[in-house]
Amino acid sequence: MEVSSVVAGDVRQLLPLCRCTGVLPTPLPLTVPVKKKLKLNPNPGLGFLSSGSRASSFCSLISRMSLGPNMSEDTDDMYDDLFEKYGKVVFRRNDQKPPSAEVDDDAESLTFFLDDMMTVVVAVAMAKVASEVKAADIRVLFVKPLVYWTRFFIIATAFSRPQIDAIGSKIRDVAEKKHGKIPSGDSKPNSWTLLDFGDSVIVGDARPQAGFVLLASWTVLW
Amino acid sequence: MIQPQTHLNVADNSGARELMCIRIIGASNRRYAHIGDVIVAVIKEAVPNMPLERSEVIRAVIVRTCKELKRDNGMIIRYDDNAAVVIDQEGNPKGTRIFGAIARELRQLNFTKIVSLAPEVL
Repeated sequence: MEVSSVVAGDVRQLLPLCRCTGVLPTPLPLTVPVKKKLKLNPNPGLGFLSSGSRASSFCSLISRMSLGPNMSEDTDDMYDDLFEKYGKVVFRRNDQKPPSAEVDDDAESLTFFLDDMMTVVVAVAMAKVASEVKAADIRVLFVKPLVYWTRFFIIATAFSRPQIDAIGSKIRDVAEKKHGKIPSGDSKPNSWTLLDFGDSVIVGDARPQAGFVLLASWTVLW
Repeated sequence: MIQPQTHLNVADNSGARELMCIRIIGASNRRYAHIGDVIVAVIKEAVPNMPLERSEVIRAVIVRTCKELKRDNGMIIRYDDNAAVVIDQEGNPKGTRIFGAIARELRQLNFTKIVSLAPEVL
């Protein structure tokens, strides 16, 4: 029974074969752990084993040496060397940021979160102001997942142009005095008006069918 | 690159179908108009039974051009057609719906109503 080639990690598999036949497969691929073992237990005849007697002595030697614990000791030594050379961290990714940059990232995300919360507060406050002026069908829509250019749509319905004017002017005043936000948009109210606060857009409408038109277009197209 | 005599599609439901630019508003001797510019146009083709009639002179804002729109960040946007939205003297759209994608530059130019009605903003 002959073994043509054996990988380095399967040296232990040879032991029963050697015990049975007393023949050592040639050539025996010896890799780093095995070489290390040979260094630790020097035997000048091992490299030239070809005859049966030497093979049998080699097998008995290996069986006596009990490879397992020694190999684990070798790996431990190797790890110890690596730890001494590189410290505890052997592998490090190239794209890692310094701790200061990570702190900055955390602060930035916290800022975004606070910004979001402030926007929610302002949007709800504007909706309450619209409610105070007796606007109907007030809806605060969170549209950030749908459109990139704003976070909230606040839709309110009025029943006359003077009421639209009143709602618009009241919202402008409260936003400027309490929240320091000045909206852009048309100053002269039309049949429908729009106040753009950047983070939130307020649509006031005096037409009975217009709110449906707006919502229908969003539903279908977004 | 919209200039007088250029034909444009209409990107809203105002009732006009095709416009022809006859003047660019904003400068005395301006040669070309781009996205966000207001033009004076004549309606060359209109939908029947709508408030806008053929050969009527209206104002419109350009929302799409075949000529590339370059942004500061290096992005270039080019549409398949030249299109405009019919507006009144105050900049409010005459229609109630906007069709097709429009550019976000219109928001900076204070056409927020058009942007809010658009199905997609690039």
